[in-house]
Amino acid sequence: MDKRLEMLRKDYKDIPIPKELDRIVAQALQEKPKKKTRPVWPASVAAAALLFTATVNFSPEAAQAMSKIPLVKELVEVVTFNEFKEEKGNASIDVKTPAITGLDNQALEDNLNQKYVEESQKLYEEFAKSAAAENGHFSMNSEYEKVTESPEILSVRRTIQRTQASGYIQNRYVTIDKENEVLITLKGLFKNGQYVPVISENIKEQMKQQMAADPNKIYWVSENEIEPFTQISPDQPFYINQDHKLVISFDEYEAAPGYMGPVEFIIPTAVISDLLVGERYIR
Amino acid sequence: MNKREAHELFVTCMTDHKEDFYRLAFSYVKNQQDALDIVQESIKKALVSMEGVKELQSIKSWFYKIVVRTAIDFLRKQKRLTVADHQTIDFLSSGKEDDYEDLDLQNALDALPIQYKTILILRFFEDLKLEEIAEIEEENISTVKTRLYRGLKLLRIEIAKEDLL
Repeated sequence: MDKRLEMLRKDYKDIPIPKELDRIVAQALQEKPKKKTRPVWPASVAAAALLFTATVNFSPEAAQAMSKIPLVKELVEVVTFNEFKEEKGNASIDVKTPAITGLDNQALEDNLNQKYVEESQKLYEEFAKSAAAENGHFSMNSEYEKVTESPEILSVRRTIQRTQASGYIQNRYVTIDKENEVLITLKGLFKNGQYVPVISENIKEQMKQQMAADPNKIYWVSENEIEPFTQISPDQPFYINQDHKLVISFDEYEAAPGYMGPVEFIIPTAVISDLLVGERYIR
Repeated sequence: MNKREAHELFVTCMTDHKEDFYRLAFSYVKNQQDALDIVQESIKKALVSMEGVKELQSIKSWFYKIVVRTAIDFLRKQKRLTVADHQTIDFLSSGKEDDYEDLDLQNALDALPIQYKTILILRFFEDLKLEEIAEIEEENISTVKTRLYRGLKLLRIEIAKEDLL
């Protein structure tokens, strides 16, 4: 190569790299353009949080088969079954396992709680594997919260956050009928499968409206997208909010770019009222 | 490729090449704070426009493109963009060789029209292929080649044809 070009190249390669670069890149990768709160990660973890929502699939048949009329009403509650924290090198874990208590339907209670415990065990195994790997920057957090509590129902959200080169959060919802002691499934709310296209259409409309109203919002709703949103899954994650409205929840990247976070849509009851089995849960 | 994989690829690409991107930004703005701002701004833009990227194997050149544009926009706003007028080009091409040439070499590079400079940097300092540069500059390959050749000539750099490619 030409001597002069060589010199220019050397000058270029000698441009000093400021030590702030790592921090600035890590921060920019995590930042969302909007006010939405993102979990705060240990500064050492260079990561963009990526949110992922999923639901636990319980068999509706099993729930149906369980006894429906309890003799004594106890307080149905969600409590912390246990919490474990550990750090190994660059890897850390902090997981709270929830447990549902107060159900007389012991089979349902055990079933739900066992799923929670199994899930926690899997998270721990995953953490142990990553911690053992070389240079294993990894962080795992899991918490839960009550999203809705009414005389009739209890909705619990369990959040699982993983952070590596990038990370993601899973939101899992469990909604139970406290009086009848059954697990509520999306399918079980409706008379037939018609709810899938009807809810999907309503969500698409909402996406378009929101995008028109706010240029900062992007949903993958146009046909030009690589993987446009077409319709919800019959088992799409959902919960019922305090106003007795159905809320449909999405994984990050399922329906919108990462910075939008895990998106959810409240479905107007008028849209689905003809399809609902009854008005007990959703009004 | 799903979106989560795309995002992870992008994060990995940033982790692997952030220093290259920083140097490229620095070569335009010539100071640390502005170069850091440009890297930061470019990442934000990338995260927003990521779903528009269809071919993710070229995520690196795609991000180079964002950095180049962000840097040029920045210079425009600061009115620091070196507009190459004919005088500059004449001056650069008419100067006769002397012993102090290397002292001014860096200035000469900076004084080049910005497209020439970008192409020279991407080709010879960042070692990109002509096709990648064509994609970044959104020009065809022969235009890129022509500019590369002229840029070298303006800097009075002699180079074998095969090194050009």
